[in-house]
Amino acid sequence: MPETTARTSERPDKKLHKVGRRHHDYRLKPDGPAEWSRVRVPFTRRHWLKWRGVYNPRNLARERILADKMPLWWTLGLGGLVVVTPFLPNPMINVAAIFCMFAAINVLWTLIIGTAGIFSLATLAVVGMAGYAAAAANVYLGLPWPLMFLVGPLVGFAIGGILALPSTRLDGLYYALLTMGVAEICRIFVTQLRALAPMNGSINKVGSFIPEDWFLQREGLLLGFAGAFLLLLAALLVFRLVNSERLGLLLRAAKMSREDEAFSEACGIDFRRARLYVFLISSAALGVCGAFYAMYYRSISPSVFSLDQLLLLFAMMVIGGLGRSEGAVLGAAIVIVIDKGLIELGPLRIILIAAIMLLVTVFAHEGLTGARQQFRNFRNRKKGERRALRTEKGGEVMPEEATEIADKQEIYYRRFNKRLRDELKTFITPELIEEHRQAPLGRHSDTLERVLNFFRRGDMPDKYAILRVDGAWDRFRIMALSGERGAPPRVVDDKEYASLSEAYHAVFLLRVNDLLES
Amino acid sequence: MDFGVIIYGLNLAAIYGLMAIGISILWSSVGMINMAHGATFAVSGYAAWLASAAMKPVIAAAFGKGLIASLATAGVVVGVALAAGALMGVLIYLLAFLPIHDKPNFAVRSLIITLAINIATVQALLFFFGPRNRGLPKIFGFGRFEMFGVSIRYDQAGTILCTAVLLGLVLGWLRHSRKGLEIRAMMQNAEGAALSGVSVRWTALPVMVVTGALAGMAAALLSQTIFVSPTAGAIPLIKGLTIALLGGLGSVPGAVLGALLIGYLEAFTGIIPFLGQRYVMFVQFAFIITVLIIRPRGLGGLLDDTRE
Repeated sequence: MPETTARTSERPDKKLHKVGRRHHDYRLKPDGPAEWSRVRVPFTRRHWLKWRGVYNPRNLARERILADKMPLWWTLGLGGLVVVTPFLPNPMINVAAIFCMFAAINVLWTLIIGTAGIFSLATLAVVGMAGYAAAAANVYLGLPWPLMFLVGPLVGFAIGGILALPSTRLDGLYYALLTMGVAEICRIFVTQLRALAPMNGSINKVGSFIPEDWFLQREGLLLGFAGAFLLLLAALLVFRLVNSERLGLLLRAAKMSREDEAFSEACGIDFRRARLYVFLISSAALGVCGAFYAMYYRSISPSVFSLDQLLLLFAMMVIGGLGRSEGAVLGAAIVIVIDKGLIELGPLRIILIAAIMLLVTVFAHEGLTGARQQFRNFRNRKKGERRALRTEKGGEVMPEEATEIADKQEIYYRRFNKRLRDELKTFITPELIEEHRQAPLGRHSDTLERVLNFFRRGDMPDKYAILRVDGAWDRFRIMALSGERGAPPRVVDDKEYASLSEAYHAVFLLRVNDLLES
Repeated sequence: MDFGVIIYGLNLAAIYGLMAIGISILWSSVGMINMAHGATFAVSGYAAWLASAAMKPVIAAAFGKGLIASLATAGVVVGVALAAGALMGVLIYLLAFLPIHDKPNFAVRSLIITLAINIATVQALLFFFGPRNRGLPKIFGFGRFEMFGVSIRYDQAGTILCTAVLLGLVLGWLRHSRKGLEIRAMMQNAEGAALSGVSVRWTALPVMVVTGALAGMAAALLSQTIFVSPTAGAIPLIKGLTIALLGGLGSVPGAVLGALLIGYLEAFTGIIPFLGQRYVMFVQFAFIITVLIIRPRGLGGLLDDTRE
């Protein structure tokens, strides 16, 4: 009885800690008989949402988990934008439309940088050239505006084809430099065109889906926003179709390094061709963006090609997270709101953007959208560290390991062994050793007997043996047993002992030493 | 043909070479592309301008208007530009190297951070000093002299001479000093150098300082020809970067060769009648694209492979 009271009185001091590595998931109860059913996207085998049916291991109840919550965030963000925009003042509608347009360009650029892994800086050059071609076709050839959406991608495709040719030969920065050169050449080419000289290189009065008398009116702005929003949705669709389907999967194998490229090539993946396809597809899509750009502003000017604009776009991608579509869109939102929404700040707003870029890059490994995962990893690491501080480990199983050992007997045995060793360590005193030295064999005191019994019970690899030196009656040495069948024991050291009891005591000292060190 | 163009090309090559070698050394030893080199350039230019404006009455009071006065002005301009460049190097070291050099994606992230520093610095300069151009005092004086039948302006001769001396000093330092040995060890194999006891942090700092000072020197020299303005760093940065890439990142002889090629290309494009100054960048990029298509790793680019 006193023992149990002692134990219960111990309880409040003990703090329970959560064990395991998985993070918390919201679990829903499945409704009725349609437990596992998921709605498919029409004409495909894809599902709208990534539901997972699981059993709760505690009570075996059926539960559903939403494994990928990204679609919810997308719906929330884009839906919120659509709902809020019609109630905004005119300049802010303009900002929203520009955001959609740049986000679309960024998403397509992400396809080139992230999915294809080609570090191209000619994105705006493709957009600009396609825009110029479409605008020129409309103004000088009298092409109706819907056909501009055809001219744009064609020109984008052609320029993409020219740009893609050296992309397989050059790598990384060299290709970036080349594309920067192409952008500069495009800018100079456009500004030096004789026909455009009177307008300072720009084409004005471009036909548009926005009627002329609505231009810069509220209706026109709303229509422009609607168009830009559709453009963003289309860009996201292209991203989804390329990145998560066959081409994206092929390229994921060759993504990280040269070794991966060699590996995927050996597997029969023609990653160069896949990269080329991605580049061409996104160039054509950027051509659509270019045509839209010319229509939205009803003009196009050489400032499309400027380095500042390019750097601004790059800042968007970097702040959001390079290589993710959500990063491209989030970064575009942040940068556009600062750059176009806070115009009264003047040059300070560029400094602000640069400061955000700097902070995000210093602290986040993969932009703002990667911050959550980074924080999770950080927290798990800290948790592990703290747990390691709490538990003194001496052969005992750590809680993390415990979840992964199938034979629970093993866990308890190791814990028991640890406690036993801890207790035995307290018994080891000079008097005890002296007692053993005087009589290695024979009757011992209770504590010495306990220690010796622990030693006798030990595993073979922990044990020692006594070797009589060849041809001598009174020379003994100590050997350590290997514990492995076929592997001979090895001599511990050169020391020789004159009598058997001395050798017994030497073995005892070695075992005591091992115990104290464990 | 006018032989002055040879000197002009050499002059340009000297200034671009200062930028390009800084970028190249930094890439090969530390493994980062310094996009803030242009900012360093502009800041050094402004620092030199401020210092010369502040020191002008002092120098006039102390030395009057003789040779010594102009020498003192030159000393102030060059010294302040060098010091400001070195300080910018320290700043870039603190922001773009120290916090992240052992973290994932260092190459891309340092590039982005230096780019952010560049943008912020240019805008800050614009904010404080306005877009107006400022002229530095002519440290080499006005005038020309004749050599081998070619008339050379003093500032051109001074620039070429200064660059040659400075580059000689830096390369000699790399060649013969203990720190230079450590830097070259890091260029060859960063990991191996770290394993044999070369501290990455304490080696990167002098590299940053020296390359920053080189950019400062380039600012002081180029400002003899053009003016100091917030965006003055953009063109030298792009030129330096292109030359460093053209020469093969990390190869100092390649960078020197690239600087000579680009300098002369610019000089000759300028005098060909139907091309003219407006097409300088056009011709340069076309040239570089051709070279890169023929030699994808630049002129002297082998080191890139060994870094892998």
